[in-house]
Amino acid sequence: MNCNGCLEKLDLYLDRELTDAELGDVRGHLERCPPCEHRYLLLAGMKRLVKVCCDQGAAPSHLRQKLVQILF
Amino acid sequence: MTTLVAVAENRNGTRFAEEAMGHLDTLYRGALRLTRDPAQAEDLVQDTYVRALRYQHSYQEGTNMKAWLFAIMRNLFWDRFKGGRPEDVSLDGDGELSLYDTLKDPTAVPESEVLDRIAADEVVRAVERLPELHREVVLLVDVEGFSYKDAAQVLGVPIGTVMSRLHRARQQLQKSLQDYARESGIVREEKESA
Ligand SMILES: [Zn+2]
Repeated sequence: MNCNGCLEKLDLYLDRELTDAELGDVRGHLERCPPCEHRYLLLAGMKRLVKVCCDQGAAPSHLRQKLVQILF
Repeated sequence: MTTLVAVAENRNGTRFAEEAMGHLDTLYRGALRLTRDPAQAEDLVQDTYVRALRYQHSYQEGTNMKAWLFAIMRNLFWDRFKGGRPEDVSLDGDGELSLYDTLKDPTAVPESEVLDRIAADEVVRAVERLPELHREVVLLVDVEGFSYKDAAQVLGVPIGTVMSRLHRARQQLQKSLQDYARESGIVREEKESA
């Protein structure tokens, strides 16, 4: 696998959307290629950051109460 | 007999409602990211639950209720706030952002350190600045952890569309955060050439 092939699959690799064989190919390339690994780490760091930052906060309690009345 | 059926149906309804309520916080956060307004987010979530209740017979028990609820909410969002659901047009221009390349310099600040120093508020703002079609893919895949297949189902588009929107969204996010990092002095200005 060359760099272009690796970069094309980087999103899929990050999101665990590859077959085991493809996964192994990408991982193998990343271990040998610091620039691609660098890109991967950045991409992975961003995904983690987005998840952590956007996944905070609860629904207001008055909304919850209103929904309980509607649903039950 | 009728009473037994009624009791059973009532019990199913309660179970449905309980499971649906278990997704309230995550739906509200999604609504907040979509509408960018707490009052509108509340309306959207409430309407989503009302519609879910009305169509609960179409939900198959044991399938992905979170995805089902997100699909309802997402369609309501487009119908109500954007005047109709989007055509499956490509937003993707040609101009590839070259940010991956600008970060190839091994002497640059390590990416993880840069990311660690970006405030959570700024990340949320960067997500909220994305065009809606890109934003919703990021919400589904990166925040909610949906597979491409589930995200495609929620959005009613082919998996390839999910992939291209996600890729584009991540490039935009990276550019946003990179710009922020430079402007706020977290990373030094890089030279134009090289
Ligand atoms: Zn490479």
